[in-house]
Amino acid sequence: MADPYKPRAAFAPWDRRELPGIFSVEDSARRVGNYKWLEMRLFESLGGWVATVPELDVKLVLGRHCYHHAWHAELMDKRLPELREMDTDRLCEAPNPEMEAFVEALREPEAPEHTIEKLVGVFRVLLPRKIAAYTYHLNGTSRITDSPTQRSLGFMLQDEFEDWREGEMLLQSLIETPEEVDRATRRQAELEKLILAAGGISGPGSLGPIVATEGASL
Amino acid sequence: MSVTLIPAEFTLVKFDADEVRAIIDRTIAEVSFPADVDVTIEVDEVLPHPLTASVVEIVDGAAKLWFTGGCFESPQRQTGLSPDNTRVELGAGLLRAKDRLVGGFENAPADEELDERQRTIWDAYAEGRLAALGYPVRVQRRRYTFRLYGGFNDLADAEFERLWSGASLTWDELATMADALAEADTRPERKKSIRKESLRRIAPV
Amino acid sequence: MRKQLPPDMLARDSRFVRTSIMDQVMDPRNQKIGERDLGSARLQPERPAAADRARNLMHGIFTGEIQALEGAGRTTFDFDDDEAPFALKLDMARQCWDESRHVEISVKLGDWMGTEIGEYSEAVFLYEAACAPDPVLRLCGVNRALEGLAIDVFNTMKEFGDSSGDPVLEFCEDWMLADEVTHVKMGSDWLRRMTKDDPERLEKALEFQRTVDKLFSLGGFRGETEDNPIQLARNFRSMAGFSTDEIDEIAELAAQAKRDAEALVAGSS
Ligand SMILES: [Fe+2]
Ligand SMILES: [Fe+2]
Repeated sequence: MADPYKPRAAFAPWDRRELPGIFSVEDSARRVGNYKWLEMRLFESLGGWVATVPELDVKLVLGRHCYHHAWHAELMDKRLPELREMDTDRLCEAPNPEMEAFVEALREPEAPEHTIEKLVGVFRVLLPRKIAAYTYHLNGTSRITDSPTQRSLGFMLQDEFEDWREGEMLLQSLIETPEEVDRATRRQAELEKLILAAGGISGPGSLGPIVATEGASL
Repeated sequence: MSVTLIPAEFTLVKFDADEVRAIIDRTIAEVSFPADVDVTIEVDEVLPHPLTASVVEIVDGAAKLWFTGGCFESPQRQTGLSPDNTRVELGAGLLRAKDRLVGGFENAPADEELDERQRTIWDAYAEGRLAALGYPVRVQRRRYTFRLYGGFNDLADAEFERLWSGASLTWDELATMADALAEADTRPERKKSIRKESLRRIAPV
Repeated sequence: MRKQLPPDMLARDSRFVRTSIMDQVMDPRNQKIGERDLGSARLQPERPAAADRARNLMHGIFTGEIQALEGAGRTTFDFDDDEAPFALKLDMARQCWDESRHVEISVKLGDWMGTEIGEYSEAVFLYEAACAPDPVLRLCGVNRALEGLAIDVFNTMKEFGDSSGDPVLEFCEDWMLADEVTHVKMGSDWLRRMTKDDPERLEKALEFQRTVDKLFSLGGFRGETEDNPIQLARNFRSMAGFSTDEIDEIAELAAQAKRDAEALVAGSS
């Protein structure tokens, strides 16, 4: 019979979690504040667009995704005080004016004929950027000290992947002509340039510091 | 043979009487209605969609068909005519009148004496034949009505499919089917089919 | 995208046909129907044309759900952070998801009952209640008046499903009813929270709700007598935070709407 009193290691051999992570409490809070701000702007835009898209399936998907991003905003809002940010509004902001300009451009289309432009902004530009930045945060932060953020990011990423796939499939089914391919790519390029100027969803360093390494030019 | 539309002109709804008469003529031809039988179509234009109801009678060898205006009305344009719905409702009424005229339905009670289960079987039988003629019938609408009065069960569904796929029927067979459906219907008695109050009886002031 | 989207800009595909409430009010048949004794107006399987009446109502529910989805969605977008609290917007986003599912359920139920998308015309007076510029008024118009009507309609439809033994209809309406009770409760809770120190704003909001409730009872559509197709669902309403006085008031508004309609008929005959 196994001896229940035999000393065992706190970390099982397969548990490879390490200390420290690459983010301080303040770093993590700043990013979480940016995420909350962005998730809010996104769920509002999806909610607002519901009434402006004539395609019934798109209307229903926007209604569903609207709640996904609201829930993400709620998760981030709840995390902020745990990161010593008692005023949950203070860090709820865009990382820079360029990101504000990106969001402004993202939510600008209104006409019922512009469903492609609306969806391209969300599913071909913003969601891939979110997936990238959340993944960087998830992988870089300490899996021990910042585990609550990680757990939330894990749920959020799961939604982002599923939603991205659904949105991309909608787009593929809506784009029927070479002209519509041009519309979609034009729109994507416009918005990519804006988010490039912002440096990503939490500003420069969204995917980590850019460090020049020896031989990089090779 | 004479065909009479009552009223000759519509005043409460925006049905063009000439258009309705043209649909009647066309439908009479398409359902191969007996050429020597006089037909009267009476429309109670007061009763709107979705108050749909119709009554078919054979009086002294002539066919008298009564419809609520709702049978012909477009659900998309209040007081406007729906040519498709008009064709289907007229077609079903004319086929049931033809059943009564050409034999096999001598024992059938008057329309207003039918219970809802019997009536729903007869309607499905008529619309199934219209479907075969290419009429714009909506099978699922008829199936739902059939289930509502025939029962939400496998037997009712199987009988509906049989009627829809071209079975021929006499009154006695219809009555037997109605009895079998009643037998298979496990709903409490009050949920089972009863004879509805007739819109026609309460319609005229 | 602008804030405050007017009802005529609601986007629909080519199957949908818009109607105005005036088409119904001005229908010359109204007076003649009023003169006839058509018996109970309740939606019951044994009443004439029950199947087509149920299918018609089902399509009305379907378009109503689309407008509820759009109304909740607009509330997440139309108000800045200082006009509508964060938690309120989260509730509205949640409602968006719920209404989106209600549209899905309604489409499936339409298939079941043989109703096609766009088969019946759509009136947008439900969404009109979602256009108030004050979020408190909007919550009253949408979550208490419109969603309250949804409770009444779903309960009527659930009873129809139950009395006709339709397993699919009863199942679906029961689930939707659960969501609507939640939405009305949301509205009642937010109304109290946001007007706690502002009795004037509260009174304005309740007045707006009364106007909308009267509109929704137009011509005796809803009430507590045999003349009303849609029955006031007292028990579910009290579950959703309506007081008995408030329910009594809606019943009286409905009775008043019925009297107004009768007076209109009597006056023009
Ligand atoms: Fe709903
Ligand atoms: Fe709702």
